[in-house]
Amino acid sequence: MSSDLAFALRGVGAVVGRNFALRDVSFELPTGYVMGLVGANGAGKTTIIRCLLGLREIDTGEIELLGHRVPAPADLRQDVGVVLDHAFLVGDWRLTEVERALRPFYPRWDGARYRQLLDEFGLDLRAKVKDLSRGMSMKLMIAVALSHQARLLLFDEPTSGLDPVARDELAGIIGDFLLDEGHSVLYSTHITADLDRIGDYVTLVHNGRIVRTGTKDEILDAYRVVRGGPDDLSGLVGVELIGARRTSSGTEALVRTEEADLLGGDVLVEAPTLEAIAVHIGARAPRPEPRPLSTGRIA
Amino acid sequence: MRVVLSNSTGVPLYQQIKEQVGTAILAGELAEGSALPSVRALARDLRISIITTTRAYTELAAEGFIATVPGKGAYVLALDSALVREQLLRQVEDGLQTALDAAGRAGLDRDGLVQILDGLIQAERQDTIQ
Amino acid sequence: MTATARMAMLDLRTIAPYHYQSLFAFGASVLVFGGKPVWLLPGLVLIFSAQIAPFPFRVADKAGLETLYGVLPVRRRSVVYGHYLWAVAVFLATATAGTALALLLAWAESVPFGGRTLLTMLALSWATYSVNIAIQFPVLIRFGYTSGSVLGTTLPLAVIIGTLYKTHLTVASMQDWIALVAVVGLVVFAASAALAVTADRRRMRHRANWRTA
Repeated sequence: MSSDLAFALRGVGAVVGRNFALRDVSFELPTGYVMGLVGANGAGKTTIIRCLLGLREIDTGEIELLGHRVPAPADLRQDVGVVLDHAFLVGDWRLTEVERALRPFYPRWDGARYRQLLDEFGLDLRAKVKDLSRGMSMKLMIAVALSHQARLLLFDEPTSGLDPVARDELAGIIGDFLLDEGHSVLYSTHITADLDRIGDYVTLVHNGRIVRTGTKDEILDAYRVVRGGPDDLSGLVGVELIGARRTSSGTEALVRTEEADLLGGDVLVEAPTLEAIAVHIGARAPRPEPRPLSTGRIA
Repeated sequence: MRVVLSNSTGVPLYQQIKEQVGTAILAGELAEGSALPSVRALARDLRISIITTTRAYTELAAEGFIATVPGKGAYVLALDSALVREQLLRQVEDGLQTALDAAGRAGLDRDGLVQILDGLIQAERQDTIQ
Repeated sequence: MTATARMAMLDLRTIAPYHYQSLFAFGASVLVFGGKPVWLLPGLVLIFSAQIAPFPFRVADKAGLETLYGVLPVRRRSVVYGHYLWAVAVFLATATAGTALALLLAWAESVPFGGRTLLTMLALSWATYSVNIAIQFPVLIRFGYTSGSVLGTTLPLAVIIGTLYKTHLTVASMQDWIALVAVVGLVVFAASAALAVTADRRRMRHRANWRTA
């Protein structure tokens, strides 16, 4: 059964330790696009990805991955590649041994492709995994995923610790990967610059909840950055200041676009960047109960 | 096909693509039937999102400039004279609006504006003769 | 090849870069027991195999291979059973090499080493090994090598060596009942594997991150 969704989470809840839980997590990615999962460290991005892979049990809700309900048959992971900020391989393996070790698990392994990709990425076959820089080990994991013909790539904070050149190279690699409209990418990060250009969809996570999900343009349209004097933005009715930053010279906050009209004329209102949205939402204090909205969204 | 995007103009990326491709087609730089890169190839080359390029192509197709073939890409359609005329008229209108705004700031009235227009037409006629 | 066998192969490849250490451990055991060829086999299994079997856990902990196991298209059960199959393979390989060496040394030193004695020693080797692994592996699987290893590797060994010492074993005294112990060892080994699957599930439930939590 082919699906037009790369994956979907519906009402997912999972308790993680004493102080943290995923609650009512719902979002989906249509096949063929790249989604950025944006949130601060500890917001729940890694937990979501582990649930998606079936590495973590969920307490409520359902998860669909490449058209299959999760927990899915282990074989489904033939189609999925995972890329982290470190290579999860034996450090003393040479890149040739990496192939020898992983190949038996993947009937679709393309050895010629593996060598070609290593060459393209500038990785020496005789090098050891532990000798690779962060950027190079990320490329190695991508090469592994592409060599077993993965359809879905899951990146978890791939660029933390990478220089801008490497980050740009990654954008190019993802662009190449998405030339095939059957390929999809989930990219979890707290560095929004990576998604500014190439992100198709964005999902905002904060404190284990989904703040908002949609196309990048929808997200950018949903908020406005407002700036005013120290007293301009206080005592407002019907307008929620998200992640307000108050200093002696002024106040800056994020507001929902539909509420921006309620602000007075002295306040500067402008379109946000993804970074501004991420920063202000991440700066919110955790709320004990969600504010009920007719659409079920949190913010 | 030449598409050069600017981050600083404030014009949405999809619109920049639309305008540049549209202009190129109208100017005859992109001949009828010539193939355009697929939305995904264009996104990859420009390092922007696929949804953005898709939107640009969708609007170009709606305006009759191109036709998209699912799975294959897009190609330039024959210039419809009515379509061309409509686009060119829009260019005239935009150009005139710009001139009108500048005239307003310069304190130029309608007669002054017409004078400049006549001067330009005259100059062009001279160029054509020569 | 089944997924379990592939995982066992992966365990082998995991420690392959460190074969020098392994050979060193093997050599050391031979030196220690060289003078008593009859006891070489159990000695080898106790010292060498008991170090090699959990070796992949040690490497996996450091390298974050838990993530790899989670990403590979294999069931969790295959991951766990793969480790046990590896342990069996280690025993068989050691037993084969050890038997050959022991017989060679016995012949060289003119020590009598009959079939009955050999079988007794094999049974003793398996008995100690299987109990050792049966205790160690669920601990390693549940807590990882760094957290579990001290308890996991020394405790079983201490229990076994203490028992052997206390009972003042000789070959003759063992002959009659050691086969039974070996069978018990097999049962315990299998039970441990089943237990380990549960332990693994527990561990997965508590893991929030990719690295060892």
